Amino acid sequence: MNEYVLKTSQLSKKYQNKMALDQVNLAIKEGSIYGFIGQNGAGKSTLIRLIAGLAFPTAGTFELFGVGHEPELHEARKRIGTIIEGPALYPNMTAAENLEAHRLLKGIPGKECVEKTLALVGLQDTEKKKAKNFSLGMKQRLGLAIALLGDPEFLILDEPINGLDPMGVVEIRELLKKLNQEYGITILISSHILSELHLLATHYGIIHNGELLEQLTAQELNEKSQHYLHIKVDNPEKCASIIESKLATNNFEVMPNGVIKLFGFVDVPGKVSQALTNEGLVIEQFMPMGEDLEAYFTKRIGGVHHG
Amino acid sequence: MGNLLKTEWYKLRKDRSFWVLLLILFGFAVFYPLLINPDALPTGNDFYRGHILSINTDIIRLFPAILAGFFISSEYSLGTMKSIASSGNSRIRLYFAKLTIFSIGSAIIMLVLPIFMLGASLIYFGFNLMPDWPFFLQTIGLIALYAVAFASIMAFFSTILTDSGKSIAFLILFIALGGSLLEYIGSKISFLEPLILHSIFMTQPSILLIDQVGQWSGEDVVTYIVVPIVTFIVFGILGSLLYRKKEIK
Repeated sequence: MNEYVLKTSQLSKKYQNKMALDQVNLAIKEGSIYGFIGQNGAGKSTLIRLIAGLAFPTAGTFELFGVGHEPELHEARKRIGTIIEGPALYPNMTAAENLEAHRLLKGIPGKECVEKTLALVGLQDTEKKKAKNFSLGMKQRLGLAIALLGDPEFLILDEPINGLDPMGVVEIRELLKKLNQEYGITILISSHILSELHLLATHYGIIHNGELLEQLTAQELNEKSQHYLHIKVDNPEKCASIIESKLATNNFEVMPNGVIKLFGFVDVPGKVSQALTNEGLVIEQFMPMGEDLEAYFTKRIGGVHHG
Repeated sequence: MGNLLKTEWYKLRKDRSFWVLLLILFGFAVFYPLLINPDALPTGNDFYRGHILSINTDIIRLFPAILAGFFISSEYSLGTMKSIASSGNSRIRLYFAKLTIFSIGSAIIMLVLPIFMLGASLIYFGFNLMPDWPFFLQTIGLIALYAVAFASIMAFFSTILTDSGKSIAFLILFIALGGSLLEYIGSKISFLEPLILHSIFMTQPSILLIDQVGQWSGEDVVTYIVVPIVTFIVFGILGSLLYRKKEIK
């Protein structure tokens, strides 16, 4: 039994003069939910396309379920389900017909799985409605249903919650958690909605300009995230001045909404609150907090990049 | 391979463009004979040749180009080709499953007029219009064979172009003008002339005249039967090799 469902070694892909992937060494453990994070054009989809067999590496290798060469790779790919760059649907077919086409493609015996999978993603009542008339959220669910056909052991989902309404996001999150926890399905998920990924992923990979900057577990992320005191007072300018003079630090940030993030005093909040109240400030909010995934990611890639 | 053929057959049955084309052809087959003047009808082989086969050979042979655009190229533009290619099946098998079912679809399109228009005409004008059975059966067989050969060329270019609109426009022009173009090339490059003269572009119109050929010589057999088969095999292999190396976007 392989500990890793996917392992890449120096995997590279070059398009004309641009390195879309540059010597990526990535490993996804069996049973994990791997959040794949990166900006547009960072190389997320390129890596997914290589794994799915839609494109071919320029250099390097990868192993899927422990195998790295054709024709064994074909068999390994039968154990995965994918959504790549959005759901791929036949617009003039109903949801059930779309699933039937993919059931035949995957050679899955028995038609029962079609109804079962539709029910799993909440599309059992769409009946004769054509996929072209679906909302974006329904299309995403149908794409997920197609990926789930045949009970895959490894799901590769590229932006699966794009276009879903808030309830839909929660439902898909719970479904993915259930698939992971109850059925042991390993999931690779890329998403721009980092707050959502934060609620789901057990592992993260951060990719930037084709390079895998870091892989870490959710626990490691938590430990690495900078913790701070979130302070909101009636007079932020005065508060900043007091922190500098009384606490002798300039390791803080004044946010545009007047909130102050004070780093380095999480363990001694009493000392901070006392210093502020002694100077007559009214404290409106005061709590210890940790940086979220978005802040960590932004910091890791070196700030906000435009264009 | 069986499941791939079933998949493609299922998709062809659900393909709207396929049914629209069949409906148009069926409507034409049923209603067009009503416009023919019954007092000036040739009989037998001449009616079949002049009023049915000629339309089929000149115009209807372009129709599979529309099916190619929707049945093959649209898989790329819709993104469904990504699901197909990542399904864990070999690319060669995937290509030949698609090509096989597209060829069947093309053959069905090409056979609507010879069968249903002839049937309608017999009902309207009497059974003395029935061509000789050997001539009728030979044309049916050859029409299907040529449809399959042209289908392999269309599938090849649809795989290159990957866009429904571009594929349809290119294929219609290519199939319509290919014969003239090849004829011109043959006149300029003499060593290609025998190859061009025996290509499916040049030999397809001869289907109309099979009954005038008399007993088939060995060369006729090669020209009418072997050439379309070789064309199908060559373009099938070329297309599958192209698809095998193709990066799917």
